[in-house]
Amino acid sequence: MSEDKVLQALKALAENDRDRQASFAVEARLLSDFRSRRASHRWRWVGIAAIAAGVVVVVLLSTNRAPKPAVSTVPAPAQVPRQEAAPVVAVAAPAPRKAGRKMPRPQAREVVTDFFPLMDPAPPFERGQMLRVQLPAAAMRTVGLPVREDHLADPIQADVLVGEEGMPRAIRFVRFDVQ
Amino acid sequence: MQSDEDLLGAARGGDEAAFTALYRRRQGAVYRFALHMSGDAAASEDVTQEVFLALLQGGGRFDPSRGTLLSFLYGVARNLVLRRIEKKPPEELAEEPLADDDVLDDLTRRETIEAVRSAVLSLPTQYREAVVLCDLENASYEDAAAALDCPLGTVRSRLSRGRAMLAQKLSAKAVRSMS
Repeated sequence: MSEDKVLQALKALAENDRDRQASFAVEARLLSDFRSRRASHRWRWVGIAAIAAGVVVVVLLSTNRAPKPAVSTVPAPAQVPRQEAAPVVAVAAPAPRKAGRKMPRPQAREVVTDFFPLMDPAPPFERGQMLRVQLPAAAMRTVGLPVREDHLADPIQADVLVGEEGMPRAIRFVRFDVQ
Repeated sequence: MQSDEDLLGAARGGDEAAFTALYRRRQGAVYRFALHMSGDAAASEDVTQEVFLALLQGGGRFDPSRGTLLSFLYGVARNLVLRRIEKKPPEELAEEPLADDDVLDDLTRRETIEAVRSAVLSLPTQYREAVVLCDLENASYEDAAAALDCPLGTVRSRLSRGRAMLAQKLSAKAVRSMS
């Protein structure tokens, strides 16, 4: 059989199948997925905006107020984040105990996540500050941590590592376990 | 009309209409490619869905300098299809006697189409994908080379070899149907 005949046969098959396509169910599933991604994307930007706003507020407060309990200076790490989970900053200093109070109070132990970089690529880090901020839980989605839809607006604590230039470099999230 | 690349950019920015337009423009080609490669309509729907999901998730991997968006979609579809069919060993080329050029004319159109479909499906994968892309989907050699991740010359040689194999298979089939 000649190549022309083969090409004719292939053309017949192509014409026969020209209108074949995936069912509408595929499109419906994809659009559903697209919408959920878009909603998630919006929350991501809400989280980023919240982080940025929180950083700005804390920076303003820390520069206009003395003393500055909410800010600690952080020496330059060799490489930005993946810092050990030591509690670097305590924003809200516990109220002084009243004299004579003997009942032991349950103490909240901070449990922190690893640091997640917020800049990619990040410029060289020399000095910076660690800021404790309160954010909506949606901010955790910005770094890929799972948050249930009904908890996206819940307030959470986070430590934001801010570079000398004022840009947030990395973030970690804080949970308080009552002992 | 907006280009595929423009639609992809808008879709990645959250434009549902752009995503829908891009999907409707290209899903048929992706679906038919999967169908002609696998012969399985349900699997082809799955592949089509996965291709566009991959586009939503990793559209950033698309590099316009390496080929068109359509060739990128073919490439993703190809990988998904190969994963599904790799367990099926390719049929050996039957060394059967060639029939006269006119033998194919004796088959009805419907029989011809099904015979060609079957013959295409029986081609070894590397020849099948070249024939499906270039002869059934009318993809350019450049698009086929980008989708198959091989040089242009390889596409030409595989196409030539694939057509020759098809000629043998169809001739043999025609001979059998006459006897």
